[in-house]
Amino acid sequence: MSVDERADGAAYATPDEADDIWVQGADWEEIEDAVSEGRLTVNLGPQHPSTHGVLRLVLELEGETVHRVQPVIGYLHTGIEKNTEYRTWIQGTTFVTRMDYLSPLFNETAYSLAVEKLLGIEAPERAQAVRVILMEFNRIASHLVWLATTGMELGAISVMIYGFRERESILDLFEAQSGLRMNHGYIRPGGLGADVTDDFEEMCRAILGFLPEHIAEYEDMLEQNPIFMERTRGVGVLDVEACKRYGVTGPLLRSAGMARDTRTSDPYCGYEQYDFEVPTRTEADSYARFLVRMGEIRQSMRIIDQALDRLPGGPVMVADKKIAWPAQLGIGGDGIGNDPTYIRHIMGESMEALIHHFKLVTEGFAVPPGQVYVPVESARGELGYHVVSNGTTKPYRVHVRDPSFVNLQSVEHMSRGHLVADLIAIIASLDPVIGGADR
Amino acid sequence: MGLEENLPAGILLTNIERFVNWSRSASMWPATFGLACCAIEMMATGAAHYDLGRFGMEIFRGSPRQADLMIVAGRVSQKMGPVLRRIYDQMADPKWVLSMGVCATSGGMFNNYALLQGVDHVVPVDMYVPGCPPRPEMLLDGIIKLHEKVRREHFRDKVVH
Amino acid sequence: MSEPATTTTGRLDPEELERRVQARFPDLAANIAYGELTVFVPPERLLDVLAFCRDDDALLFDLLSDVSGVHWPGGEHVVEPQLSTTGWPPNRLTRDRGTVEVAYHLASLVNDHRLRLVVAVDDDPDGPPTVPSATGLFPTADFHEREVYDFFGVHFEGHPNLVRILMPDEWIGHPGRKDYPLGGVDTEYHGAFIPPPDERVWSRDVPGAGGGKVGP
Repeated sequence: MSVDERADGAAYATPDEADDIWVQGADWEEIEDAVSEGRLTVNLGPQHPSTHGVLRLVLELEGETVHRVQPVIGYLHTGIEKNTEYRTWIQGTTFVTRMDYLSPLFNETAYSLAVEKLLGIEAPERAQAVRVILMEFNRIASHLVWLATTGMELGAISVMIYGFRERESILDLFEAQSGLRMNHGYIRPGGLGADVTDDFEEMCRAILGFLPEHIAEYEDMLEQNPIFMERTRGVGVLDVEACKRYGVTGPLLRSAGMARDTRTSDPYCGYEQYDFEVPTRTEADSYARFLVRMGEIRQSMRIIDQALDRLPGGPVMVADKKIAWPAQLGIGGDGIGNDPTYIRHIMGESMEALIHHFKLVTEGFAVPPGQVYVPVESARGELGYHVVSNGTTKPYRVHVRDPSFVNLQSVEHMSRGHLVADLIAIIASLDPVIGGADR
Repeated sequence: MGLEENLPAGILLTNIERFVNWSRSASMWPATFGLACCAIEMMATGAAHYDLGRFGMEIFRGSPRQADLMIVAGRVSQKMGPVLRRIYDQMADPKWVLSMGVCATSGGMFNNYALLQGVDHVVPVDMYVPGCPPRPEMLLDGIIKLHEKVRREHFRDKVVH
Repeated sequence: MSEPATTTTGRLDPEELERRVQARFPDLAANIAYGELTVFVPPERLLDVLAFCRDDDALLFDLLSDVSGVHWPGGEHVVEPQLSTTGWPPNRLTRDRGTVEVAYHLASLVNDHRLRLVVAVDDDPDGPPTVPSATGLFPTADFHEREVYDFFGVHFEGHPNLVRILMPDEWIGHPGRKDYPLGGVDTEYHGAFIPPPDERVWSRDVPGAGGGKVGP
């Protein structure tokens, strides 16, 4: 019924008509039907500027207070898990890196570690150290995007600009090593796609040179900012027991006081060699998560510093030629093409090398049957890969335990009784990446 | 030679079509419509380093009703397709669609059950930008080319979809 | 928030975990491969085992980190020894009926050890494979079980809201199953049309190995 059609001509429903709900608009009758016990069901998303991508939330509101939240996901379901079953083990890297697109290197590492575990091989030390360095840079980049988007969603646009500015310098490093700013496909089963560039250490040191100062600046901008504190302190409290119930890991669990980090509990890639702390807080609210993430950025810089100091030489790919793709490739004379030395070798010098190359590229290598579960600590929590092989050259099943997917379950617990505006701060503090949640 | 000679300084003559097209291309506001990886690059394009504001596009509108350009940044799933079409329908004419990245353009590497094999199955697309994800420079290039295309548009060709 | 004041025994090896679980459930099969313990549980005893693993003083698996499904269709699977990486015998596996395995990955935040429970259920053509829901013990199983239901059609009895989670509500079929095609369309490249990945011919592949048709 449109406003014009109303018998009494009133543009608003008066309190007499509907106890405590005031609704304006043409679809009053439909809304009245949807209202039960004074509650209003509101749809937020999947296209909404403040829901971090295509997350949809069905809210039940009492006035402006959130009574129930139901996250609806799947708007970015890409079928990546199924798609990997039709590709070789090596090609899997290209797929998994596109899942959680803010932490591609964690996906690649976890997948590679799982395949390596099935194969019973271990990547060379240099590859492990480079993985650690790149993963920690990735953690910093991911937290910077978190800072940027959270700032934007809470109204601090300048933080968004700064966060992306710092991220650019890290992406330049990634691009120099892997050729792509995101979705690298650089960390592969057996090691790395190629060795790092000659100026790798220099580039890393340059970033470590200015980053601490800038991070301190951004922390100063927000840490004592009264608006930011009002919006985040005491908002979205999730204690340790609730974290366990909902399977929540990562910065959320650490903000509740539990120093749980897969890097220390199940060390991989040689994390046990590095000296770092796991930052924790006890407040368990959105503000504590901000402090924890800031602390993690500092610890990541510490790890990178140590890893650069002891960056070993040697190969970056396992020696087994049945598994390893050539990792010491050069580039063609035009700056992009294939490695001329390698092409000369397989095309002109050795028939066996050509056959081997052809088999490895078209068929891939076979992986012994079995199943493994490999967790790594991504920027959002425990990222686990459950990889099943039946002995062929393709994965039988790749399942990903993505922290965004699991953490989203806790939204309802955290936001009940808060205002709608707080809900945005809570979602932001979760840092969900829908590409990871939907896969 | 006619009117131009008698004009005082500071006045230019053009036709209404060119004038309208120029103003449309000079402040084309994109809708905030990020889907996947490309959305992050789209945000990076809007941030300080690449500064989309140089092209009058720094304001990403939260509401599709205020937006002129939909940048489909990322893979479009079967579940998202109807939502995307609804957002497109909510945008006021004239409107343009830029398909960013291979997933939005053709489904890309994800040739499977879950994804639409190209967003042009759902909405008409004016400009395709390749890449996985495209660099911000590539997005800027696509946007500038779209601006050029808009400047050359004729009212009579513009059909309402 | 402090950690629970339970006396912990610290991290246990897979062998110790196996002994501990089998002391309570002697008839459960278990194996240790790749340094990971897998315990095979019949569906009707799943909740008992999960509750034991969660509450036992030495195990203290307080986090259900993942629930994942694997579909093994019926028929014979032969995986020949691969020439490129030799080292294991041909893998022959014959199943009269298909099986859906649901793998529960448990982790202990206190003791830092991990365990996998595998529940294998018949892929019954007459009715959906049924597993009791773990949501009563671990609320985090909610999304995980919905995902396994969505992709494998496993019915979790007692789940509060067992609906599709990632696929659209009206979707037909369960895409994670091996008998569900990958889908996709022909793609044109330089004038030739290339079929979608699951319809391409891979002559060395075997049925059910995720490779599609057997050639030529």
